[in-house]
Amino acid sequence: MKLFIANRGEIALRIIRTCHRLGVRTVLAFSEPDRESLPMRYANERYPLDGSTPSETYLNIEKLVKGARETDCDAVHPGYGFLSEDPSFVEACYENGLIFIGPSSRTLAKLGNKLQARKTMSENGIPVIPGSEGALRDEEEAVSVSEKTGYPVIIKAVYGGGGRGMRIARDKDDVRKFFRVTLLEAQAAFGRGEIYVERRLTKPRHIEIQALADGHGKVISLGERECSIQRRHQKLLEEAPSVALGQKLRDELTDAALRGLSAAAYKNAGTVEFLVEEDGAFYFLEINKRLQVEHLVTELTTRLDIVEEQLNVAANDTLSLSQNEIKVAGWAINCRINAEDPRQGFIPIPGLVARYHAPSGPGVRVDSALFSGCSISEYYDSLIAKLATWGTDRTQAIERMKVALEETEIIGLPTTVPLHRELMQDEDFVRGQFDTTFLDDFLPRLDSTIAGYERLAAVIAAVEKARSPPTWLDKAEGQSRWRAAARAQQMDRGNGPGRQS
Amino acid sequence: MRVFRVQINGTIHVVSLEQKGKNQFRATLNGVPFEAEAASNGNITTWLVRSESESTHAHARNLPNDRVDVWIACIPFATIVQAIGLGGYAAAPEVRRHTSGGQVRALMPGRITSILVKEGESVSEGAALLILEAMKMQNEIAAPTNGKVKAIFVREGDVVKKDSPLVAIE
Repeated sequence: MKLFIANRGEIALRIIRTCHRLGVRTVLAFSEPDRESLPMRYANERYPLDGSTPSETYLNIEKLVKGARETDCDAVHPGYGFLSEDPSFVEACYENGLIFIGPSSRTLAKLGNKLQARKTMSENGIPVIPGSEGALRDEEEAVSVSEKTGYPVIIKAVYGGGGRGMRIARDKDDVRKFFRVTLLEAQAAFGRGEIYVERRLTKPRHIEIQALADGHGKVISLGERECSIQRRHQKLLEEAPSVALGQKLRDELTDAALRGLSAAAYKNAGTVEFLVEEDGAFYFLEINKRLQVEHLVTELTTRLDIVEEQLNVAANDTLSLSQNEIKVAGWAINCRINAEDPRQGFIPIPGLVARYHAPSGPGVRVDSALFSGCSISEYYDSLIAKLATWGTDRTQAIERMKVALEETEIIGLPTTVPLHRELMQDEDFVRGQFDTTFLDDFLPRLDSTIAGYERLAAVIAAVEKARSPPTWLDKAEGQSRWRAAARAQQMDRGNGPGRQS
Repeated sequence: MRVFRVQINGTIHVVSLEQKGKNQFRATLNGVPFEAEAASNGNITTWLVRSESESTHAHARNLPNDRVDVWIACIPFATIVQAIGLGGYAAAPEVRRHTSGGQVRALMPGRITSILVKEGESVSEGAALLILEAMKMQNEIAAPTNGKVKAIFVREGDVVKKDSPLVAIE
């Protein structure tokens, strides 16, 4: 078997690792900025996509399919983000005799947008958040549904994702005010203007079930993940299992997730996301029909290789594992390390990583494509590393994470490392007391920690000045500040590069 | 004693320094003493720092226009550092150029194993002037321009620091 990887960065490397262990040859598609990236060194072959922007490269169906055919690949792995959930890409693969490592285009269409997925789930008896049945016709309908549902409500783009294309309305006036803006934004950002409305749960947790399915009705659960530590509806830290689930609630969520995936004749690894309220009420949120960023915590607790299972299902059309073989053991935590400045509203900062040192030791796993001297391109996602630890229990996983974060050195760009260090010290986090609103109140604490280091920074700055002559930065490094500014502006306009949850 | 004015996020800190060794400093800020030792060379220096209450490490990079970038616990600090009074700068030249004012400087620290030219000799661009042994490698140091050897500042067997003047060409 020969696999074409239609992705980049850490996830491309992640896929290569499993393939090479299994003797599967790999062809890596690459854009111009990724020419010197780490996975380029390890893939068996490389296929140039000739371009820089996502639409010229990793979102270009024609080029990717052509590349997979020209290099005689049997299958295509889409990774996450980019085209991983795009029915037209799946169709293009099958039309060209390529196996797509993921669900069928029919399943994707069935679960394709949020409303369809919601409808499929609701029909199978899975609770959904109260809200509109279909896309809203007009402002008046938005108001009447909202009145019935109760405030606050979220106005959402049907085709949105990754935390974008949504607004919170606290009353009738807000609904009127935001209806049009959200619609226009959705049209601009996702090409489709349909929007809907649902009740906003006040302090829910985000808990998801990782499943594997063979497309013929066999669906198994690999356990849950807790993903409530988020900013702007984007996950920053995930763990498995969740402190919030007792066995009864875990069984209910698992049952709902597996029922939903069976109903959609789902095939591949998939995740069903839920919002869970303090009293144990839970609601379907969405289905992620791909390998997820945070899959590694499940791999740590189940000792499985999810990419290997994806390849098995795709190649053999059956699932070799059965539910009673799945044993969840211990606890795993993943910290997402993004090239972003938490002090400036998490704006992504591209540039050069002058020094990189990865932590190691018992129970530590780092999935990353970083190396000293690598550059973080402004064209792609800001996720640069995933640092995960495993422990026999949650306390040990947290202790290991603390030490691993102390060892981590990423010099040259601001990252989310300091935020994670602070989180590991937080009493509420350590006790497992948090929900999706946790990070909003937490950020000011980071500021005071940073201020505490200022005197030490002044001392270091002085000795450095006294010891060494100045270094002239090369062009790329010197530009990074300008690029960051430009990127921040782009984000404000709401058309920044896509991001994965 | 050298004194530096360090600006971070709009706050001014005054740091006085005493050099204890090649890479060792004793610093005082608001009466609190710190011991700092540079742990490695390169564009980015790793510093091991000790005060009465804490012991940690940090990274720093000295940039032009008085900018110094510092990282502690992966937190970046952009600082502006200016010397107050005399003698703020170390002996090392401020601008790292290996030929300045007709002077050829050492690209790296090492030992002069042979000198291939004499004072007063005419050389053409690219001609070998001397051999600098560094990291067990013999590095030929070449003339940057056509000219005449005006002065030779080193002798065979000398150990030189990075950026030390080697030969002047006019």
